[in-house]
Parts: sequence; C-alpha cells; structure tokens
Amino acid sequence: MSRRVPSPDDLPLIRQLRGKDKLGRGAAVKSARSEELRARTATADRVVKSVCPYCAVGCAQNIFVKDEKIVQIEGDPDAPHSRGRLCPKGSATKQLTTGTSREHHVLYRRPGATDWERLDLETAMDMIADRVVRDRRAGWEDEEDGDMLRRCMSIAALGGATLDNEENYLIKKLLTGLGIIQIENQARVCHSSTVVGLGTSFGRGASSTLPGDLQNSDLIVLEGSNMAEAHPVAYQWVVEAKARGATIVHVDPHFSRTSAMADHFVPLRAGTDIAFLGGIINHVLSTESDFREYVLAYTNASTIVGEAFDDAGVEGLFSGYDEESMSYDPESWQYDGAYVNAASGQRDQEGNVDRLQRSELGGPGGRGEIKRDETLQHPRCVWQILKRHYAAYTPEMVEAVCGVPQDVFATVCRLFVENSGRERTTSFVHGVGWTQHTIGSQYIRAASILQLLLGNMGRPGGGVMAMRGHASIQGSSDIPTLFDTLPGYIPMPHAHGHDGLDDFVQADSPARGYWGNMRDYVVSLLKAWWGEAATAENDYCFEYLPRLTGSHSTYDTTMAMVEGKVKGFFLFGQNPAVGSANTRMQRLGMSKLDWLVVRDFSLIESATWWQDGPEIESGEMRTEDLGTEVFFLPAAAHTEKDGTFTNTQRMLQWHHKAVDPVDDQRSDLWFAYHLGRKIRERLAGSEEEMDRPVLDLTWDYPTEGPHDEPLADAVLAEINGWDADGEMLSAYTELKADGSTSCGCWIYCGCYADGVNQTARRTPASEQNWTGGEWAWAWPANRRILYNRASADPSGRPWSERKKLVWWDEAEEKWVGHDTPDFEATKRPDYVPSEDARGPDALRGDDPFIMQADGRGWLFAPAGVADGPMPTHYEPQDSPVRNLLHRHQRDPARQLYEHEWNRYHPDPDEPGGEVFPYAATTYRLTEHFTAGGMSRWTPYLAELQPEFFVEVSPELAAERGLEHAGWAMIVSARGVVEARVMVTDRMTPLRVDGRVLHQIGMPYHWGPNGLARGDSMNELSSMALDPSSHIQEVKALTVDVRPGRRPRGAARTELVEEYRRRAGITAETGVG
Amino acid sequence: MRELLDSGLTYEMAARELGIRPGLAYMIATGRPADDDSAPAQDLFEPPAFNPTRNEKVIEWVRERARRDLGGAGR
Repeated sequence: MSRRVPSPDDLPLIRQLRGKDKLGRGAAVKSARSEELRARTATADRVVKSVCPYCAVGCAQNIFVKDEKIVQIEGDPDAPHSRGRLCPKGSATKQLTTGTSREHHVLYRRPGATDWERLDLETAMDMIADRVVRDRRAGWEDEEDGDMLRRCMSIAALGGATLDNEENYLIKKLLTGLGIIQIENQARVCHSSTVVGLGTSFGRGASSTLPGDLQNSDLIVLEGSNMAEAHPVAYQWVVEAKARGATIVHVDPHFSRTSAMADHFVPLRAGTDIAFLGGIINHVLSTESDFREYVLAYTNASTIVGEAFDDAGVEGLFSGYDEESMSYDPESWQYDGAYVNAASGQRDQEGNVDRLQRSELGGPGGRGEIKRDETLQHPRCVWQILKRHYAAYTPEMVEAVCGVPQDVFATVCRLFVENSGRERTTSFVHGVGWTQHTIGSQYIRAASILQLLLGNMGRPGGGVMAMRGHASIQGSSDIPTLFDTLPGYIPMPHAHGHDGLDDFVQADSPARGYWGNMRDYVVSLLKAWWGEAATAENDYCFEYLPRLTGSHSTYDTTMAMVEGKVKGFFLFGQNPAVGSANTRMQRLGMSKLDWLVVRDFSLIESATWWQDGPEIESGEMRTEDLGTEVFFLPAAAHTEKDGTFTNTQRMLQWHHKAVDPVDDQRSDLWFAYHLGRKIRERLAGSEEEMDRPVLDLTWDYPTEGPHDEPLADAVLAEINGWDADGEMLSAYTELKADGSTSCGCWIYCGCYADGVNQTARRTPASEQNWTGGEWAWAWPANRRILYNRASADPSGRPWSERKKLVWWDEAEEKWVGHDTPDFEATKRPDYVPSEDARGPDALRGDDPFIMQADGRGWLFAPAGVADGPMPTHYEPQDSPVRNLLHRHQRDPARQLYEHEWNRYHPDPDEPGGEVFPYAATTYRLTEHFTAGGMSRWTPYLAELQPEFFVEVSPELAAERGLEHAGWAMIVSARGVVEARVMVTDRMTPLRVDGRVLHQIGMPYHWGPNGLARGDSMNELSSMALDPSSHIQEVKALTVDVRPGRRPRGAARTELVEEYRRRAGITAETGVG
Repeated sequence: MRELLDSGLTYEMAARELGIRPGLAYMIATGRPADDDSAPAQDLFEPPAFNPTRNEKVIEWVRERARRDLGGAGR
C-alpha cells in the first residue's frame, strides 16, 4: 500500500485557519489520528442480543463482537423496560466476562491437601459421576413407617438464581430423577416470602405488575426496598411517575438514594413493618376509606369464617396452635361450611388429604358452599374479623412500636386514601427488606390486604411490585431449583400414605379456578420428564417423584451436613460462606462433606474455606484434618451460552451466545446434561427399582459446537411443550391429562408457540404500548399486569377512563384492552357457573383472581400461610424491644435450629438483654452483587466500593466513641466482624417504646477473597426462619458496636464466647 | 438520498446504494442522529443484529420426541 503524501491540512490549526470552521468547533480540529479512529461499536462484525446477568431488572444488552471476541457491551435502547440504560454493574459486564479474574481450569483439592491441583475436565466429570452414583446408593431411603419415600438424602444442591431457566430445568429434572430432594437456590433466601405472601393473597407468587407501569401510579410506596441503588435502572420509572405528578414515599430504617428522590422519607425501626402496615389497614377500615365496590366484588371480605376460628388476641396465638411442635393446624381458619385450598404456600400437607378424606362437605366440587354476607355485618365475616384484629394498631401503637411519629403516619394514611379509588391508584414496591424476616411472608400479606382494600390490584399504576435481585431468580422459582415445588408451582408430593396421582391431585387442586386443571399440568410435566415410560397404567410415573417429609430447605440441609448426613454438595453460582445466614454454620456444614462441587467464575469463599476460612485462622479447623474433596469447575458467562432469564416482571428474555467459552469453562447446561449422561451410562442395565427414574428420564437433547453443548432452544421447547403431532403448544389451556401433551412447565407454555422462540422477540419500545407486550414473553400467556380483569368493574366497564386497562367489548363479545386479558377471553362479565361446574368453568364472570379457589383476593387466608390467616406483629428473633401487641414476643411458629454456633439473644427485658442493645439492618449496594462472586473480583466494581463499612448515626458514634473512617467491631452471639465506620445522619435514632433506639446499617457483600475484601455481615446473623417460606431473618437483628478492630486468631472466638457468657446465653435462650 | 427514499427504499437499502452507513443516511434525510429517541431502530447505526428466533434442528427434534413419547404422527 502506498503512503499518502503529508499535507499541511493534516495539522488541525492550518485546517482551522484555512477552512470554514474558524472557531475550531468541529472537524477542523480533529487530528489525522483521531480522524482514523473508529468506535468499537461501529467496526464490530455483529451485535448479539443479550440480557444483563446481574439483578432481575433484566436490562437488555447489545454485545458487540469482532473477530469472535467481545469488544463492547452496551444497553439496548430498544428495550421497553430498560431503555438502553445499564447500572455500574451492567456497565462492567465486559470486564466481568472478558477480564482476567475468571478461572479457566478445573481445580481439585484432595482430602487433607493444603493446596489445589489441576485436573482435566473429563476426569473431574467422571469422578463426580462416580461419587453421585456411590453416595446416592448409600443414602437411599425407600420408605419410612410404611410411607413411600424413594429418595436420596446424602446429596444436596444449592444455586440457580443466576442460571438460565434451561439450566435450572435440567438440574431439577436430573436431581429429581436421582431422588435428590435437597435442591435449593437463592430464591429461598431472597424472595420465598413473596411467593407465599402474594400467592396466597392473589393466586400467583410473583410480582403482579412491571416496573414500567409504575409510571402510571399516583402514589408509589417503596418499603423494604432501596430501589434506586439495588435496581437503579428500574427506578427510572419511579422518577418518571414523579415527573408526571405522582407522590413518592420511602419507608425504611436507612436513608438512601431512594429516600433522596422521595417526597416523604419515613424512617422506621427494622422489623416492624407489619405494625406500620397494620396501622394503615386499621385506618382504612375504621374510617371506611376502602374502595367498597371493589372490596365487595373482588375480595373475600364478605365470606363467613368457621366458628372454630379464634383471633391471636393478647396472647398472640391464633386457634390451632400446638406448643410442642411450635406449629399450627390451620383447619379452624377455614370458611364456614367450605374447604378451600391455597394457590401457594403450604400445600400437599397431611392435613389436606385427611380433611378431604373425612369431609362431608357438599356443594360444587365436593368442597362446600361458601357463605357470604354482602352487608359485611356478620360477626364472623372476614371484614369484621379484620376490623377487630387491626383495631389495636392505632397511630399511638404505630409510634410506640415503629418509632414513626403520629403526624408522619397520618400523612402516609392520607396519601394512601387520596390516591386510591376509581380515578387513582397506588403501587407498592418491596424488596428483601420485607421478605427476610421470621414473619416475612406476612409482611407481603399485609401489603396485599391493603392493596385489596383500596382496590389497587390488577389496575394501571397499582399492584405489588416485588423487586427481585438476580437475573433469573424469578425463573428459579418458576422452574424451581427448590425442594418444595415442581415446575409451575406444582407442590412436591409429601409422604403421607396417599401416594397415587389421583390422591395428590384431589388434595391439592381446588374445585374452582385454574388450579382445578392441575392434573393437566402434572401429567404433561411427567410426560416431559419420563416420555414414553409415563403411561396411564403407571400413573404417568408419578411414583418416580421422591417424597418430602417436612422442610428440606437449605438451612435444614446445612444442619443435615453438620450432622454428617450429607456426603456430596453441588454449588451452582452460589456462595453460602458469605451469603447465607450464619456463615460459620455454613462452613462447618461443608467441612463435614465427603465432596463438594463448586461451579463459579472465581475462587469464591465457599470454594476455599478449607484453606483460608475464618475457622482456619482461629484454629478451630486445621486444613490437614479436613477430609472434604473439592472440585472447582469454571463456569461459562451469559455471553458464552444461549438461554433465558426470567426477570422481576415475569418476563423471559433470551440471550444469545456471543462467543464460545474457552478452556474448561462450561455452561451449567453442559454440566447438567453431561453429568446426567455419565450417570446414566454407569447405571445402564441396572434392574434396581431406584434406578428406573433416572434411566427412564428423557435425556436425548441435541448438541452442537466444539464442546457438545446441548441446545438450550431444545430445552426451552420441552419446557413450552408439544402435542402428539409435534406442534408446539401455544397456551396452558391446551394441556391434557390423558398423556397426549408434554409440557415441562405449564406456566411457561406459549413461550415457544408456533415453533418461534417468543422469548427472543425484540420489538422496539417505540413501536408498542407501555406494557411492552411484544418484547420477549411474560408468564402467564404473555400477560403483563396480572388480575387485570379487576381493572374493570363487575359489569366489565373500566372503573374509570383514566385507569382503563382491559374491558369487555360487547360488540366483539370478548375482553379487549391494552394488555392480554388475565381472564378467559370470551367469558362474559355476567357469566354464572352451573352447580356442577368445575375448574375454570366454575369461576364467575366477575371473579378476577382466577387461580384462587373462590376467585377472590384473600384479605383473610384460610390456608397456605403457616403462622396465621392474618398478619400480626411479632418482634424479630433478636430484638431490642418487647412486643407491645402480644405476649408472645416472637412468631410462635418460626423455625429455629439448636446448635452451639447458632445461639439466639435474650429477650430485651431479660437479664443479658442489654448486652446487644442496637438494632441492625442490612442492605445491598449498587456496585456490588449479593455475596460478591460477580463483583468483588471485578476491578471497576471493587474500586468503586472497596471496603465493608457500617453506618452509624452521629449520636451513636458519640455514645460509643466511634470515629468516621475509623474501625468498629460489631458483635452478636454468633460472631464478630470489623468494618470501617461511616458516621452519617442516614441512620436515624428513633424514639421507640419511650426510649431512644439506635440502629446501624451494613451492606452484606463482603468476604475475605477477591479484590475488595472484608468481613461478611452474615458472620453475625442466625438461622431463624419464617415457617411458611423457610427464609432467614437477616434484615433485623441486634448487636453490640464498639470502636477498634476485631481480635485475630483464637481471640476472635474468645470474644464472642465472652459476650455469650455475659448475656447468659444458653441453648434455651430466645427459643420460647 | 431523498430520491432513493421516495422510490421506496429503506434507509438501509438507500445507504447500501450510496455506500454509506444507514445511520448517516438517516441523518442526511432527517437532520437528526440515528440514535436519538425518535429514531426508528438501532439497526441504522449498528452492525447487523444477531437475534434468530427459529431453529429448524429443534423443530425436527421436537417432532421425533412427540412421535416417540406421545405416540403421535410427529408431523
């Protein structure tokens, strides 16, 4: 190539003086070198459509690829939900996926070894398959007391919320086929309470709306959510609403950027939200400010409850409590003369079956006739029960319990009432600030009750927006790597002597509503998993499903590990040594394993505890004595695989593979598929009954590429389902119970309709309405706002022009509108079912909550919630304040674990209660992600938030001698951590029960590995769980705070023991 | 540019005719950058997007599965 002859015009100044651009504002001042520069985005070979792998906003990404290398990752401006924006984490995904922090090779730690060694991938896979086969056999349980179990309790798995739906699907399918039931993921420890709370109230355990619809709200109340920092891109819709004139209220113990943008910030004591929400409910009921027409038509306010029901009263115990088992029999909470199943929460329990066996209830479907009093005067109607229950939640009580002054509380009540009704709507936004409590499910129930009373469900600008925190945590609930459900929230069967498919369906499907078609969903799932082996004669292999015998949550599994009952453990992108409550217990549990498989990007703390964990430093464990074999298998990134994430608005978005993974990096789809293949090869020819479920699994997925990667498209197709002609199904209403359809997850049926991957649809926002119905695909049936039948009045007309969403079109004789109707499209508003109608046919034309057994929103939950039909205030497990509403200090049905490393704090008015005087809460930062595995190793993010810190008020700093930027140690009965001190008025001292109470705040992302290192907050927390959702309480605890760094070595443990002695803590402390 | 657009060509097609990027064609015709809020689609200023929504290999596999598992014709 010939060189160009230089010209004086190459010099910018000459060009400027000679040309028209005398002031040098444009191209004149561009140097020749700049002139030749091209943006990476412009010179890329292609743009691969993708989705951010961090939180559950699911921001759409464009991945620019040149020469088969990723050269840039940006937000996709076409996306209706993210509008091209990415937060700092999303903006750092190029560094996350292409940086040097990722491991490339398999690492292996032999029992007792002090260091890693390299192992080739094939050998590692073979070794893992051998161990699964060996330990499955050793830990097999065939039956217990005559009840069939058919399960393996010696192997467990944790992880899935950052995985694709297709990966979770194969993991759940394989492990269930192997009889493994201890399968859990982050969804348990983040939003399981949301599933119970929303599911029992409305019928589905997922967010009822989408962040983009917040722009239509007149009032947005964010409580238990720091949306601006945890979900910044979704927060744009709150800002949009504010620009349109909406009022924003933020209720939280901690002032944050969310509060800064709000019109009203309401600081409250951590762990008291039910008292606060109960106070608003009381205000609405006592002033009759409810949306009465909505309440009468669409809720169970008028339903009569059975005579056996007793309210919690002064004691704080609802009827049916058994002190010995610390649990309720919920039978006395049922409706008068009728039995209804819950659509979510506690299902397939022994009681359901027994009740049905001995039931003499008549009426439609044999479940009794629901009695109602439309005047709401009957003393046992839900309305009156609710009114009596919340009468104690006065403004004075709210002030005393929550620390919220009465005038501030009155303002919030006024805003709720003024912004609800025909013309206006209010939405709730919540995050894990509500869910992670021993009574977290009831937090969500309380908000649900309020939204039903005010008529805000199913309407534009209304609803309950659950902000979930992982790219596919909604998906890992829907296609659950969770112990208690099958895909689509079908309950896992319990062992209770009623083992047949008919018994199971009879016990768990109500007479009315779409759960009435449960047999269609179950049989289609069994056909998807066991194919030709599943026949009508063998109950479609229903016997192949392993049986539960209680809670097998991740914390139960931790205890089983500590007791030496679990031999092998898989971690899929999850870091319990930092992210789970009581991290010491997590590490102790893992130290008792025979083998551990960690699949992640980097050497997270859960992979290296045997080498450099806190117990090694303290001398409580010695590396050479630890017999756990550890396999570290590097994972592929989202840019290196196809698949779907389901975001916080139930939307499945397909991300395409941009480049192949390198070296030993592989997807979890690859891992699950090839592990299954190897296990099946080892078991081939077996005559044993226990091997039939895994050998009969449909496991013939097509593969492609240099690594024999299974086609994620094929897995999604199986999830969607097909008929006998091989035609892809387009809706769950097409499923059949006769074995002629196959569907891996009934609520996802339609995501592959017409043989087209609907989840990859990307119609730009500018070409559709605000619901974004043509961008990707949302479950169920691409409905974006759930229960939207309720946006119209019983006759089918919108409640108001301003808030219209779907309505009945008499001319077209169908429901039409801005969203896909969440209702049978041609069912008339005045439809009345016949006496013998069942399932969906038994729903009236004005029953908007189509998954509910009575078609109504549940103000009172007669089933499904383990600790009461109505939320009531209990103090957190560790609280500095006595319960002012009930004699029972804590949730009497909460789930506790007895272990010397998991001690609880004394009651505040007991001796020793003063040792841990401060309330503590926890939260997430924008720049870090959960337990840090995807952020503390990423240089940009580590630099932005380099150190663990604790926020304290100036008053507390003065009281305890803490200095800004100095060190503090924070102590509980479980552990001690050190953190940098941030003295700030973001933490507000509150006046509670007549005294000043200090609260502290801590982010929870840190651990000792990575680029940004620090102690983990979860060294302080305990394993104390919500009985319905089995979630841990980490949003409200008590601690002591003192200046200085924590002791090192053995002195660290000694300090905690000294605190325990001083507080008089024993195994009995805090368990009453 | 105007002539090409008036003849029914899209911005992408007109840009190909003139040997320029589609985004520049859009800017010449409208006076606005192709990445502003009112632009029709990002295809105008970016390299070709990769977003297939159909996979024939999967469709074939589904038919085989349906035939085997459900006893159907697997059309």
